[in-house]
Amino acid sequence: MKKFSFIMTILLISVFVLAACGGANNNAGENMDNHSNNDTSTDNTADNTADNTADDTADDTADMGPTEVRWFVGLGAGSDEGTFAPQEAFVEKFNASQDDIVLVLEIVDNDVAFDTLATQIAAGNAPDIVGPVGIRGRDSFKGAWLDLTAMIEASSYDLDAFDPGLVDFYHDAEEGLLGIPFAIFPSFVIYNADLFDEAGLPYPPAAYGESYVDADGVAHDWTIDTVRDLSMQLSVDVNGVDASQDGFDPENIVQFGWQNLWTDLRGTGTMWGAGSLVDSDGNAQMPEPWVEGMKWTYDAWWTDWFVPNGAYGGADFLQGPGGSFSSGNLAMIQMHMWYVAPWALGDVPFAWNLAASPSNDGVTTAKMHADTFQIPKGAAHPDEAFEVLTHMLSEEGAGELLLVYGGMPARLSMQDGYFATYTEANFPGSDINWDVVVASMAYADNPNHESYMPSFQETTDRYNEFWNLLANNPGLDVDAEFEILLADLQSIFDAAE
Amino acid sequence: MNEIGELRNMGKVAEKSAPKFDSEAKWGLGFLTPWIIGFILFYLLPMIASFVLSLYDFNPAVPDEAFFVGFDNWRRAIFEDEEVRLSLVRTIRFASISLPIGLGFSLYLAILLNSKNVIAKPIFRALFYMPSMIPMVATVLIWNGVLNEQTGWINIIIENITGIQAVGTEGIRWLNDVDLVYYAYTMFGLWGVGGAMIIFLAGLQGIPTELYEAAKIDGAGWLRQLRSITLPLLTPVIFYQLVLGVIASLQYFLAPFVLNRGTGAPEGMTRFIYVYFYKQSFTFFNMGYGSTIAWLLFIVGLIITVLLFGTARYWVYYSSEER
Repeated sequence: MKKFSFIMTILLISVFVLAACGGANNNAGENMDNHSNNDTSTDNTADNTADNTADDTADDTADMGPTEVRWFVGLGAGSDEGTFAPQEAFVEKFNASQDDIVLVLEIVDNDVAFDTLATQIAAGNAPDIVGPVGIRGRDSFKGAWLDLTAMIEASSYDLDAFDPGLVDFYHDAEEGLLGIPFAIFPSFVIYNADLFDEAGLPYPPAAYGESYVDADGVAHDWTIDTVRDLSMQLSVDVNGVDASQDGFDPENIVQFGWQNLWTDLRGTGTMWGAGSLVDSDGNAQMPEPWVEGMKWTYDAWWTDWFVPNGAYGGADFLQGPGGSFSSGNLAMIQMHMWYVAPWALGDVPFAWNLAASPSNDGVTTAKMHADTFQIPKGAAHPDEAFEVLTHMLSEEGAGELLLVYGGMPARLSMQDGYFATYTEANFPGSDINWDVVVASMAYADNPNHESYMPSFQETTDRYNEFWNLLANNPGLDVDAEFEILLADLQSIFDAAE
Repeated sequence: MNEIGELRNMGKVAEKSAPKFDSEAKWGLGFLTPWIIGFILFYLLPMIASFVLSLYDFNPAVPDEAFFVGFDNWRRAIFEDEEVRLSLVRTIRFASISLPIGLGFSLYLAILLNSKNVIAKPIFRALFYMPSMIPMVATVLIWNGVLNEQTGWINIIIENITGIQAVGTEGIRWLNDVDLVYYAYTMFGLWGVGGAMIIFLAGLQGIPTELYEAAKIDGAGWLRQLRSITLPLLTPVIFYQLVLGVIASLQYFLAPFVLNRGTGAPEGMTRFIYVYFYKQSFTFFNMGYGSTIAWLLFIVGLIITVLLFGTARYWVYYSSEER
């Protein structure tokens, strides 16, 4: 019995000792050195006791070492493998530049980033900085972000360096200023030039306001109808017949003409006009342009066959490292600037370029993403986080990070000449139509397609279910499905009150 | 030594052995302690915490705004939220298809690989077991391609062999047809029957061969032997697999989540109870309500398991048991 008790006691002591050792911070060596210095300094006369006490207090603070600021990446750009190394390099450079803050990078895959962040916040272990994060990421955690107004005022941070409208983009009536503009990602058309050449078709307009001149030299307004006609000519079956010709076999398509890539009902609908699922009274609504857009897309899936439907979406010939467009079997997409990045378009074996977004009823709407970095309310070191934030948003910091994430700088002074640097860094030697990116900013959607909805995630889930239903089932009564969707959304909104 | 002396010695031995037993028990307890601590820390306390959470409206993104709602979440889950009942019904429907097919197929494979007439049995056993070593996520993604209605080779083979239209939107839509999707998901599961097959195989090899020899002498054929010897003596293993299968069915999550991120496609058919629990807890961040669903799931699983154990004495045969 004694032997048993002895062994158990030894085990327990070992556990405590190991636990104590494990709890030591990474600066243990530095702390020990500091303590040695303190020992030397306290070898003074009794008269210096008071001074020594003050020194000790100061030294104790120094003993704690630099403040650790955790930077969480994953809600938006930055969780693709190609971005890891440059982000780590940014962190190393920042840490080497000063001694007060140690920036710690935490990259979480986008698929699990929302759950991970929620768990960290709930556990009282919130990171200090989160980003890049877009509107969607921000509104998924409504109420969790720190109002930066007081910090901005205290540090006299100059918001005039940004477009006032963009600053206002981050202002929430109830919660204050939740972010400072960092990057903007306009959207536009990206096309596979090789597929156009193969079909003998001219490229889409390189600038807003230009017409599309077809192979016969006839000019057409660059509208959604023109996109439809052109896309049908670029959708080809296994026999080489395109979707505009008789004898087209929709069961054996090998190339498609168009896709609103990696977006949802709200993003797709915005091409027909900006809108919101929430009306001014907080009730569910479906903007008329979106209804039109859904029907156009539904026909494109199941009647006109120029957009990959749910079944074709999983087909082997549309799988590429950067999604369906990078497979080389899709002629045009409407996409954001963040897609024009090495990980998506850097290695594709075909020529591509950028073109203007089409108009609908005389109005062009090019949906926009805008990302920034935010500080959660539960951050352990908000002041230090703000210090890091200001570095990230500075010309130097943003200049480095924008090259990683592929965004356009929100800081006005950085916009001139930015694309020359970006091309040199990511697409050396390429002649890319960047003018259309800058021009697209003028057609940004307002209200933004990612803006707030009650029960944000549940509402998103419900309309995604609707979208999946349409994408996978021909012959539906789309109007009836809209009615069901609206009723369900209203129920969700009511429950959220 | 006389009898009295022997008894005295036995008493001494017993006296000596008592503290030894006591010491052994403590050693045993000592070795169990890590597990008990683990159970308390990682199972019991989280269960208690999740019950407490079920009494709160709790969003992990804004934990400061949590407030006590009593049994509101329970009332909502049991009486108001139709989706809880529907997702449970879907789970039971799917289990009623996948469980018999899965158990039957693994038992069939085990019997086949236990047969004297099969050559190179170790190779076949390894081959049938190997797919179960592939992570389920990879399996699901592979089958997603294999069953694709446009380019999946199963549809192409069916169309080429039978001539009926299997490819395309008018063909066999394994993952998008409400009548077929459970069978498609069951097919994914068949890839993972290797583990169950091995357990059945062990059970088969534990059946005394003299029973088969005696039955043969009595003129029993293969089918009679299967019915009167193999299956009865295998019932403890079948029971074990059944209980595990029921619990696994209630927790069925991975395939629908990997394939459609839990949207329930097609038409909500794959929004099983565990998927719904996950969505409420980790997508909608209704952690309090999600905890309630988790507890309901636990209670349903407990009831089914108790019922199964209740029926066991009528059909499960334990050779060591006195009847």
